[in-house]
Amino acid sequence: MWPGKAIPNISSKILFCNAIFKPMSNLENVKNVAAMYQASARKYGELPAFATKLSPTKWKAITYGELYETGLNLATGLIDLGVKAKEHIAILSDNRVEWIIADYGVQLCGAADVPRGSDITDSEITYILDHADVRVVFVENTEMLARLQVHLPVLKKITAVILMIESSASHKGVLTLQEVIENGKKSRENGSKKAEERIAAIEEDSLFTLIYTAGTTGVPKGVMLTHKNMISQVEQVPIQVYTNDRVLSILPVWHIFERVFEMMAINVGCCTYYSNRRTIAEDLKQVQPSFLGSAPRLWENLYQKIKENVRKAHPIRRMLFSAAYFCSHVFQDSVAFFYFRKPDLRGRNLFTSLLLAVYNAIRWVLILVPYGILNAGVMERIRLSVGGSFKGSVSGGGALPLHIDQFFNYIGIPVLEGYGMTETSPILAVRSYERLVIGTVGPVFPGTEIKILDINSGEILYPNPSKPHNGRGLKGVIHARGPQVMKGYYKEEEKTREVLQDGFMNTGDIGMITFNNCLKLFGRTKDTIVLFGGENVEPIAIEAKLLESAFIDQCMVVGQDEKSLGALIVPSLNELQRSGISVQTLEEAANNEKVKKLIAAEIKREISKDQRFKSYEKVRDFILLPKALEVGDELTGKLSLKRYIITEKYKKNITEMNRRAK
Amino acid sequence: MNSELINKIADKATNGGGLINSLEQVLLLLMVLVIMFGMGATLNFKNFRDALKKPKGILVGFLSQFGIMPIVAYSIAVILKLDPQNAIALILIGCLPAGSTSNMFTYFSRGDVALSISMTTASTLTAIIMTPILLGIYASGFAEQIIVDASGQPFKIPYINIIISLALVLIPVIGGMILLKKSPDWAKVAEEIASFTGIVIIIFLLVSVIARHGDLMLLTPWTIFVSALFVGLFGMLFGYFFSWGIKLPPRWRRTISLETGIQNGPLSFAIVLASFKAPMDSQLLWLPILYSAMIVASSSIVTLFFRKIGKNDWELYENQTIQEKLFGKVYASKMANQY
Repeated sequence: MWPGKAIPNISSKILFCNAIFKPMSNLENVKNVAAMYQASARKYGELPAFATKLSPTKWKAITYGELYETGLNLATGLIDLGVKAKEHIAILSDNRVEWIIADYGVQLCGAADVPRGSDITDSEITYILDHADVRVVFVENTEMLARLQVHLPVLKKITAVILMIESSASHKGVLTLQEVIENGKKSRENGSKKAEERIAAIEEDSLFTLIYTAGTTGVPKGVMLTHKNMISQVEQVPIQVYTNDRVLSILPVWHIFERVFEMMAINVGCCTYYSNRRTIAEDLKQVQPSFLGSAPRLWENLYQKIKENVRKAHPIRRMLFSAAYFCSHVFQDSVAFFYFRKPDLRGRNLFTSLLLAVYNAIRWVLILVPYGILNAGVMERIRLSVGGSFKGSVSGGGALPLHIDQFFNYIGIPVLEGYGMTETSPILAVRSYERLVIGTVGPVFPGTEIKILDINSGEILYPNPSKPHNGRGLKGVIHARGPQVMKGYYKEEEKTREVLQDGFMNTGDIGMITFNNCLKLFGRTKDTIVLFGGENVEPIAIEAKLLESAFIDQCMVVGQDEKSLGALIVPSLNELQRSGISVQTLEEAANNEKVKKLIAAEIKREISKDQRFKSYEKVRDFILLPKALEVGDELTGKLSLKRYIITEKYKKNITEMNRRAK
Repeated sequence: MNSELINKIADKATNGGGLINSLEQVLLLLMVLVIMFGMGATLNFKNFRDALKKPKGILVGFLSQFGIMPIVAYSIAVILKLDPQNAIALILIGCLPAGSTSNMFTYFSRGDVALSISMTTASTLTAIIMTPILLGIYASGFAEQIIVDASGQPFKIPYINIIISLALVLIPVIGGMILLKKSPDWAKVAEEIASFTGIVIIIFLLVSVIARHGDLMLLTPWTIFVSALFVGLFGMLFGYFFSWGIKLPPRWRRTISLETGIQNGPLSFAIVLASFKAPMDSQLLWLPILYSAMIVASSSIVTLFFRKIGKNDWELYENQTIQEKLFGKVYASKMANQY
């Protein structure tokens, strides 16, 4: 199959999928998470499952056998406490071995967990625990316990609080994890088989978790994910992790993204090591992980560190590095061409493809020897910065900047960018080692259907046989249907209907299917802005606040994938003239220093002084638009902003502003 | 009796100052000095002592190095009916200690680098005795076939000169080892600069020699190319099966295999130039040059192959090593075949 040739749709899709996704799961008979826990205990009982750091150099592990046994005891203890099947149990904890023990307990008693980490806000505690009808809460430590206890009087549904660590002080009305486990153990010794019965009764359509998305403003929504959702992810994530691998866990474990990798590790019987942001550098060296789930920030930091080290190195080494990077770049680029790994956005013709093939073949031959030498001599040392056994990482939770993406993939650290959202548990598409198409998020999972809809008309652009190439290469809103798509938002039928129609989830993201069948992302139609650090920002509240200023007529907050927010502002000419600044047009105003100063002061007054806004919700920079936003062009009939259109239109100015921010 | 190639080289040696000119000679000796120093800077006494405590690997390596390799070289020379000069050159390559590049290839082939370093140390230090003895056993017969002067006296291998050059070469090696003991940081820098300089000089020499003596390439019979290529490959092959036969773990097999096949090429240049008189030096130099050029390519390919077949056992071994370090114990290991 030649890359330039248009590929007939259905048959080749199947063909492609079979070639790319090797069936790697051993999950034929495993239909739910609890059954997977059971199977792993049987298969890998003696092997370490999760490890935690005791001292700077020593770690302690719990084996699959022990974990399952403890989980059964805990589950029985929970049942004795009155926990019913399908009940929601909150776990408020960051990454630690007790987290997975609590999760085992919850799953093995047929319940679902409602997980959040220590960054949960107080208002979220009261909202989520109440909305999710939680009766039993696990808390990580005494601080979390204290925070919860403040709100207990209003949380009337809660009947039991379980502290996950041993505490010297006794807390009235609070059980410890160990106590519940001990109680369960006694019951089981007396012949209780309640947990086993619960496991057998789990349906694949029941929830295994209920995850509340972090909404900074507006209320969080509870995403209902089923056992089937999770099992489909474990089956389909095309990452080869095996029993003798090591997985490092650094992303918050309550995010569904990190949880997929935990489940994958459990499924193949390899050990997951809990790390955190503070100790990650030394943990990478000690554990030498083969795999980790990551976010763009990790790679950004590592990139800066490597660059810094190269800058500080002696000139010979610096020169060698540049030479090595150049060779790797050319080599990988040529190889990528022949493995169909270059994103093809336009659909090349055969002739161009032939020319490119010759060009790449010549490049490959010329660069092979220097690449071999420099790759072994120079790049290997750089690769050691992620430990000596690193096989790859899936990066998610935000867009990976292209230069960082290229850098790591060229130096031989495979960073696979994935795409998805909590509502799709989470992965819809991810690059695999075989299909490492830089600049895309890889092929869509088999069994997952993608529709690309026109942004304005809602017309189906892909798959659409009446369009050339079945609609490949056309941008639109991504809709997805598949085994990973959520059941809905808990107790929010209307909100569910808004995004989920006919099984298709409206992702709100804009993308296209490339000519080599990968998904490429361009932006988003939904309002929420995800900053580079992963913080979710709802722009509408900020915009409303900005509009309170008489000097601001119209505005839009931007900052997707950036480190801080910026604003596009249309100032009020009348108000400016009234305050004595003589500008006649918006264009004039946009270049007037006085206006700039005034608006800057206004933004500061409206946002910075307002304590309701978190530091990352503050608008750090702005640009003045030379033209008002108009209905039909940039505004919908209901006067709401067509964010994507505006962003595209003022792309140049926004890029410039972002550059200023750096 | 002499082949066209050998006559041509002799001709060049008498009329044009030999296979390599004086600039190249200086560069070559400098390179040997620098490479040997850099090599010394990677060999530490501690590794060596550790290896001696569990001497099995190092012993097998030693046997493989000085037992198998000379026989391989000798057999190739006999089977392919090489002319005596080339036969001596081939056997000389076979009797040399391992080169420092074997450590790097071992690393990438998922072998045991510590073992590789110990073996390199052991063979380099003992070469001063072993190389002359082995040459005496395998090469003296070929030497007798060469008539050097009108009186009909056969050629004599200059054992004393060889011992002296080996001893001289040990000085930078020991210098490097001392530097490593005194300052590991500087040793690292020295090693890096050495390998970089080494690569640059060796590429320069290869290009320059082959460009100036392109005619020799055309005169070189296929048997010479084959022997230059296969002396290394057979060394690796027999080294692997030897250690497999005595049931060493796979990562040691890979180590010993590479260690056996990869000889210290630059050292052979130094010995030839320092110990043999013209025109013999030029005649003996051609095969080592070809060997040096080919061994890099062939061991790269073997390394890639080892890397592939060694994946499973290496990952198991690595996981156990890390478990032992982190947990102080090793969990069940029977899961090696989960792939």
